[in-house]
Amino acid sequence: MAEVSEADFLLAQRGRAASFDAWVIGAVFDEADRLAFALADGTLRLGGMAGDWTTVTAHDGAILSACPDIAEGWLTGGDDGKLVRTAPDGSTTILADYRGRWVDHVAAHHAGVRAAAVGKALHLLGPGGPLKTLTHPSSVGGIAFDAKGKRVAASHYNGASIWFVAAKEDKPRSLEWKGSHHAIAFSPDGTHLVTAMQEPSLHGWRLSDGQHMRMSGYPGKTRSLAFTSRGRWLATSGAESVVLWPFFGGGPMGKAPTELAGGDEVFCTAVACHPQHEVVAAGFGDGLVLIAEIASGKVVPVAPPTGSPVSALSWSPNGALLAYGTEAGHAGLIDLARRP
Amino acid sequence: MSQSPADNGSTQIPVTVLTGYLGAGKTTLLNRILSENHGRKFAVVINEFGELGVDNDLVVDADEEVFEMNNGCICCTVRGDLIRIIGGLMKRKGRFDGIIVETTGLADPAPVAQTFFVDEDVKRATKLDAIVTVVDAKHLPARLKDSEEAQEQIAFADIIVLNKMDLVSAAEADEVERLIKAINPYAEIRRSTKSDVPLDAVIGRDAFNLSRILEREPEFLSGEDHHEHDSEVNSVSFEVSKPIDAEKFNAWISQLLQTKGQDLLRTKGILHYKGDNRRFAFQAVHMIADGDYIGEVKEGDPRKSKIVFIGRDLNRPQLRRGFEACQVEG
Repeated sequence: MAEVSEADFLLAQRGRAASFDAWVIGAVFDEADRLAFALADGTLRLGGMAGDWTTVTAHDGAILSACPDIAEGWLTGGDDGKLVRTAPDGSTTILADYRGRWVDHVAAHHAGVRAAAVGKALHLLGPGGPLKTLTHPSSVGGIAFDAKGKRVAASHYNGASIWFVAAKEDKPRSLEWKGSHHAIAFSPDGTHLVTAMQEPSLHGWRLSDGQHMRMSGYPGKTRSLAFTSRGRWLATSGAESVVLWPFFGGGPMGKAPTELAGGDEVFCTAVACHPQHEVVAAGFGDGLVLIAEIASGKVVPVAPPTGSPVSALSWSPNGALLAYGTEAGHAGLIDLARRP
Repeated sequence: MSQSPADNGSTQIPVTVLTGYLGAGKTTLLNRILSENHGRKFAVVINEFGELGVDNDLVVDADEEVFEMNNGCICCTVRGDLIRIIGGLMKRKGRFDGIIVETTGLADPAPVAQTFFVDEDVKRATKLDAIVTVVDAKHLPARLKDSEEAQEQIAFADIIVLNKMDLVSAAEADEVERLIKAINPYAEIRRSTKSDVPLDAVIGRDAFNLSRILEREPEFLSGEDHHEHDSEVNSVSFEVSKPIDAEKFNAWISQLLQTKGQDLLRTKGILHYKGDNRRFAFQAVHMIADGDYIGEVKEGDPRKSKIVFIGRDLNRPQLRRGFEACQVEG
């Protein structure tokens, strides 16, 4: 995108840039479209299109994972062993302390359940406190709730496990595939589970019959994967373009993926699918951020390269705001709402 | 052959791997490194929280989770927990100067070393500095007889801390050194009592830097190569003076690592290719290889090519013939 001038980026026209001097772990919108950047210095930076960023120190150490909490506010896990809730007013509550063990992954569902992965253990917590601890054969590489919050899936070595949150007896459905599995996603209709592997490739399971799906050919590791809102496409990082696998018309088995916004010889490092439309936002290894419409392949530049890989990227639930951050601490917030 | 992991130089954090059999003095050495007043901060990856823990140092508990890469190669194992921990540590950039990874006494060092060659994120953020093995001078001869891991820990080492020297006689000490050198004549041996070696003997060694490979010439106590072997693991080295044909060498070494990689623990070489004024350095851990050019040959310097294998059941004549067949007329 070398021919694009600075003024053509949406950041310059309708955005706001920030610089935080710490690795951006997450750009997280809560359910009411409030934004917090979660940083590796243990802080959250709360703010919007105007005004100052409010700094909240949530962890004594690095934040390793962040997500929107139940209903409002944010949930973070740190290398201080703590699971912390930060409310929209900036007040923090320690929900759990795993005593020096890293809280590698967090997830929450508005049905009222939180999850924290600590080594091999997946701790589930409700609004009132701990519910149960689910143990895996090896360290958990990623966690995801299904769209209804009824099931939670954890990736690990040699496959993934799916658990029913409300089960009286905890026995997982074990999905096996040799290798180390990390990032994980449920399809929105709950029929498929996909993981990113060390190898670099993806592995998926059709849950109705356990059919395996192998999605390979990536030059780099996939760190970020997301289904489009209705589950027709799976957008992934790890290649020099945004790689989209079709989950319709019998796919992805035997289908080639669609590639968008390629050609710059820089790896895509983060993807985020629009909550309503078939539009995907993507961040790259040089800091470039763009959005692309899947049907037309039309690409709109969002933020120019800063030289640091995009490490966080998300849409607000109402679909009007896009936020991103990089490993070097560059961050941006863009307002895409239609203007009167 | 993969790209050199050392491409982007100074931003990579050096990693020291500390191995050694149970009771050899590994924890004593670690405590010494951490408590010495050196002004540097380390992140330490250990398996059990003990009495360890010094202000300003970050101690991380690891699980030693070894898994096989899905590439059909059974010796291509890596430490999954290390990939995860280093990924986490890197986000705290600038808060420490080095990482020390301690392995349990019974661990095979290969998966740790291979992690630094295989994983793209780990390669980008860190570089392997050296494998340091602490051994107990009194008990090593017995350990070498009954433990494969003890042999492997010697074979993989760049630096060997020969500890508990106060418990052995001068003759016993020489015999232990002879046993070590029969396995790995390229490691530097540091004699110590209570692991009292200077910090810079074990930290900041840059032993995996391709440009420093085979920099150290082995010294043999008797002045000649050993042909009797006390352990399964030993080393062989060959030197040739005619130039090497790059294609022939690549074909030979790839085939060799593919078929014998499980038994070849470490391989190192410096090569002079025909028609090229640069030296090519090469190293492998089992079948995972890494190589790059390391600069011009100085005017008047001999253009000898050399290769060293440390491993199990090495077939000396076959390896020699293979290497010699890579030569071409200059």
